[in-house]
Amino acid sequence: MSILTAWLVFLTVVLGLGAMAPPAAAQPAGTLVVGLVAEPVNLDPAQVTDLNSNRVGRRIVETLVTFPDESTQVVPGLAESWTVSKDGLRYTFKLRQGVRFHDGSPFNAEAVKDSIERQINPEHHFHKLGKYPFANYFFGNVKAVEVVDSSTVEFVLKEPRASFLAVLTAGAASIVSPTAVKKFGADYALQPVGTGPFKFASWERGQRVVLEKNPGYWRFPVKLDRVVFRPIVEDQARLTELLTGALDLIVGTPPDYVGQLESNPKVTLLKQVGAHVWYLGINNQKKPFDDKRVRQALNYAVNKEAIVRDVLKGTGSLSAGPVLPKTWGADAGLKPYPYDPERARKLLAEAGHPNGFSTTLWVPESGSGMQSPVAMSTVIQSNLKAVGVTVALQTMEWGAYLAKLRSKEQDLFALSWMAGNEDPDMVMYPLLHSSQWTPNGPNRALYKNEKFDELLHQARLTTDEKKRADLYRQAQRILVDDAPWIFVDHEIQTAAHAKRVQGFKLHPSFDLRVETISLK
Amino acid sequence: MRRYLARRLLLLVPVLVGVSVIVFMVLHLSPGDPVEIMLGAQATQADRARLRADLGLDQPVHVQYVRWLGHVARGDLGRSLWMKRPVLAEVLLRFQATLILAGTALLLSTTLGIALGVASATRPNSLLDRLSATASLFGASMPSFWLGIVLMVVFALRLGWLPASGMYAPYGGGGLLDLLAHLLLPAVTLAAASVTIIARLTRATMLETLGQDYIRTARAKGVVERGVVLRHGLKNALIPIVTVVGVQAGYLLGGAVLTETVFAWPGVGTLMVQGILARDVPLVQGCVLVVALSFVLVNLAVDLVYAWLDPRIRYE
Repeated sequence: MSILTAWLVFLTVVLGLGAMAPPAAAQPAGTLVVGLVAEPVNLDPAQVTDLNSNRVGRRIVETLVTFPDESTQVVPGLAESWTVSKDGLRYTFKLRQGVRFHDGSPFNAEAVKDSIERQINPEHHFHKLGKYPFANYFFGNVKAVEVVDSSTVEFVLKEPRASFLAVLTAGAASIVSPTAVKKFGADYALQPVGTGPFKFASWERGQRVVLEKNPGYWRFPVKLDRVVFRPIVEDQARLTELLTGALDLIVGTPPDYVGQLESNPKVTLLKQVGAHVWYLGINNQKKPFDDKRVRQALNYAVNKEAIVRDVLKGTGSLSAGPVLPKTWGADAGLKPYPYDPERARKLLAEAGHPNGFSTTLWVPESGSGMQSPVAMSTVIQSNLKAVGVTVALQTMEWGAYLAKLRSKEQDLFALSWMAGNEDPDMVMYPLLHSSQWTPNGPNRALYKNEKFDELLHQARLTTDEKKRADLYRQAQRILVDDAPWIFVDHEIQTAAHAKRVQGFKLHPSFDLRVETISLK
Repeated sequence: MRRYLARRLLLLVPVLVGVSVIVFMVLHLSPGDPVEIMLGAQATQADRARLRADLGLDQPVHVQYVRWLGHVARGDLGRSLWMKRPVLAEVLLRFQATLILAGTALLLSTTLGIALGVASATRPNSLLDRLSATASLFGASMPSFWLGIVLMVVFALRLGWLPASGMYAPYGGGGLLDLLAHLLLPAVTLAAASVTIIARLTRATMLETLGQDYIRTARAKGVVERGVVLRHGLKNALIPIVTVVGVQAGYLLGGAVLTETVFAWPGVGTLMVQGILARDVPLVQGCVLVVALSFVLVNLAVDLVYAWLDPRIRYE
């Protein structure tokens, strides 16, 4: 038995030692540890499309214009001020003086030009060093970026677009250090250099990304010494780490844990509605959905309150359309479709379907911004059954789902949209303008209304916010009447943090602004 | 022996090429492509076409495969489509973490499994034997992610004895103690199913061996019971046990995915899942090749151990 016994003793000792090591050692003062739901892909916001990468990368780099802490209205960032030409084609930015990148090189007009042109100009010397997935989506309308002098830069557009300032708040519009891109080449995305409140320190794959504070940050003195971002996919693990003090902050708490966290004295739970919309798309070109009454009936048939209350546990707010309520472009008079199965049945009968009909609903198993797609769709399925519409649910993996939606064969489909800011142009135009029909753009409901198209177009031509707001309100009223989707909810983001975390707010853009935090 | 080894190692080449062809085909046949997933719901046709060309995905599948194979022949597994990193370095780095976890789990399951099996076989129908049978049933039938979460809730959340996830403390950690503390829960979780399999098999084989004539002879010539059980019994029962341990080693290396995900262990399993979800062909190929290679090498090692255990087995 001797060898076996020796092994057992050895194992017991070794593993016992492990158990004796202090488990969740308290973090050193000044170090914030954040739990992410997935590992960042890379840290160059121009080269990523996912939320987690952006949330980390945007601590390092900044944009010319940005948002205040509470809203997504555009305010100065790296640009001090700007002017827009009368024809809406030239945006001239006066840049902030004396700002330096983390590598010591100066922030100037050349850096702005390089940061944008590397994405859109195939001849640019940085173009081959990266892949820029949204170059066309964000900057397809940019003809040139011109350096007027070292602190003045001008964007020349191909056609007027009033939401261009909102576009420049996107991660893809971040200003990078040209010196660093030259130095690191294709690896720049793994160790970005910007002007932001934190600078890149280290990245241990699968374990953590560490950012150190930028002591010379131009906006305010950063109180944290460093931030550690840890990817923890499993919800229970993330929660356990927070409750045992190994994490200071988690975002995206699953709805089922919200109640538990709210009543836990060790942590604070935060909620904030985000610039997001979850909708059930309807194929507007396909029978029987080409009849407006059918689409309205579907809207009346769905019990949105129940979905938000029971499935999302309060982490959603009812939606009356694509635009986020209480923002400048929203129509305050707009009411969500009430839950009225009786009216739904009547409308279906009027449209010639007194006994309902059968259809299919495509649902992704998960996906960015999709909340709880299968559970939500299951409620919708039973709601529709109650008014005579028999729905077959087809769940798909995210990648397969997106490819399938381009077939234009969909009847009903569940999808969501994170616009990143409140400008109605960033959500209504891509999702509902007829020029954006899939596969050209993301209008997967194949919705087309000429009056609506024209209103959106007009709203792009003027930069007068009041006029734009008026045009968008008219457009939203058309939408509610046309009912091209079943409007469901806007996500209420959640975060939970330890009591020692002070001064943190969730941002409606879904950005994670940990630079405002100080530790008690 | 040397010729046998050389032949086995040469056979690796067609095996790995075959594996890579299958992985390539499966990823290409599954609906959705990397561009679709990278661009998400906001994709425009123009962005999709440009990115597809940038990544070389506009070429026919066989051209893509041959191009990939050409790079591999020169020791270059390419860059991940999704993370933009060199695949080989990334996979090897993650494989170390998997080796640590799977190695510990294998050590645990082999030691405990054989000990339990031998003990049960020498005292059939005793309390220990029946307990071990019940535990085995439990161990074999519960899913590892469930056991992992239960262990986490008990030992990390309720008792606060062990950290819940990760490989080292988030900041300022490192060192052997830190690693062991983080390793304990995932290793036990991963080992649980294997322990039961090895224990049941050891018990059955030992029972059969202990009934052999040479065991009676050993007892008759006065060998102490411990010697009878271990030297005459266990050593002769080891061949099937080693086979199963070999299979388990492969299973632990490739099957650590769930455990790694639950405990945020930075291993090759989590990397491979991310790669599959992103349809990142070079990355998945890299992961699969490394896992397949280790699987084949473990099998080879098992065959060599046979010869060592049983002098009648010789390879020419």
